[in-house]
Amino acid sequence: MKIFVVVPAYNEEKTIAKVLSELIDMGFEIVVVDDGSKDHTYSIVSKIIKQKKRVTLCKHLLNRGLGGALKTGIEAALIEDPDVIVTFDADGQHDPHDILNVSKPIIDHEADVVVGKRNFEDMPRSKKFGNTVMNLITLIFYGIKVDDSQSGLRAFSRKAAEEIVINARDYGVSSEIVGEVKKQDLSLKEVPIKTIYTDYSMTKGTNTLEGLKILVKLIINMLK
Amino acid sequence: MIELYQIIAIILGLIAILYSIIRFRNGMMSVGMLLLWIIIWLIIITISLYPNDTNYLAIYTGIGRGLDFVLILGILLSFYLIFKMYNKIENIEEELTDLVRELAIQNKKSGMNNEKILKESDIENPEK
Repeated sequence: MKIFVVVPAYNEEKTIAKVLSELIDMGFEIVVVDDGSKDHTYSIVSKIIKQKKRVTLCKHLLNRGLGGALKTGIEAALIEDPDVIVTFDADGQHDPHDILNVSKPIIDHEADVVVGKRNFEDMPRSKKFGNTVMNLITLIFYGIKVDDSQSGLRAFSRKAAEEIVINARDYGVSSEIVGEVKKQDLSLKEVPIKTIYTDYSMTKGTNTLEGLKILVKLIINMLK
Repeated sequence: MIELYQIIAIILGLIAILYSIIRFRNGMMSVGMLLLWIIIWLIIITISLYPNDTNYLAIYTGIGRGLDFVLILGILLSFYLIFKMYNKIENIEEELTDLVRELAIQNKKSGMNNEKILKESDIENPEK
């Protein structure tokens, strides 16, 4: 069973080495997508590659956003003939052991796509609001009710990874993936995961402003 | 009696047409866009020359005064062009992302691949 972990990274020099070493220790194959980082993310990962063999690094010459990076990572992973593709945030907010939890329903053929849902009770208020809004937006625009539409920890079966079409380039990608699951007639399962909130990971991801930006974009896309 | 705004509009229109032609000659504008812009600016020049004639259009469409009609038309046209431009930029962004992705995958650095390449070159050059 080949599990590929896709790690999109944009300016993550502070956390990427630790995240990667944990993933390497657990024996996963890893695809890092450096999304045009302006810091030392690329050189840090390059150094790790020289020592460890299981890491692939794709570099976006220009910053294209989370959606763009995820698509690159998934396409690069598909070349290597994986059974399961897992997306994993580079900011250190996920527990690597949860990779097995999100992969299990796919290995057991219970679902095509698995999203790791974070516990909203533990979530800091600023994040909770943004994520609740995004869940609502996902419901309104894609007609799917999920507990956590914005989670960065997801698992795809090989079939799902091949079929899902990602067009969104920014954080809207998380909702789009949920929408694609419905469109491609795939099955979705949400499993609870642990989230590690550090001061660092607090500055990233779906806050209120990002949520509003995605909303505006979705409305414009509907008019197009 | 020619008003100041008429002179300004006519000069502006002529400059814009000239600018469009120069851009077209330099290969920076398509034939379709050139014709569209020339027509738009010719309409603006015509209206500036004969502003009173717009009253017929206003009566015909039910909009109060001639110049109001022109302004509304102008705003609608501007919105249309902004919309077109937005879509075009969006398409370009998408093409750019595809390009960046293709380059990233082609030039990927991989521990696994390096290993493979080393082995193949070892076979070709056993003396190394």
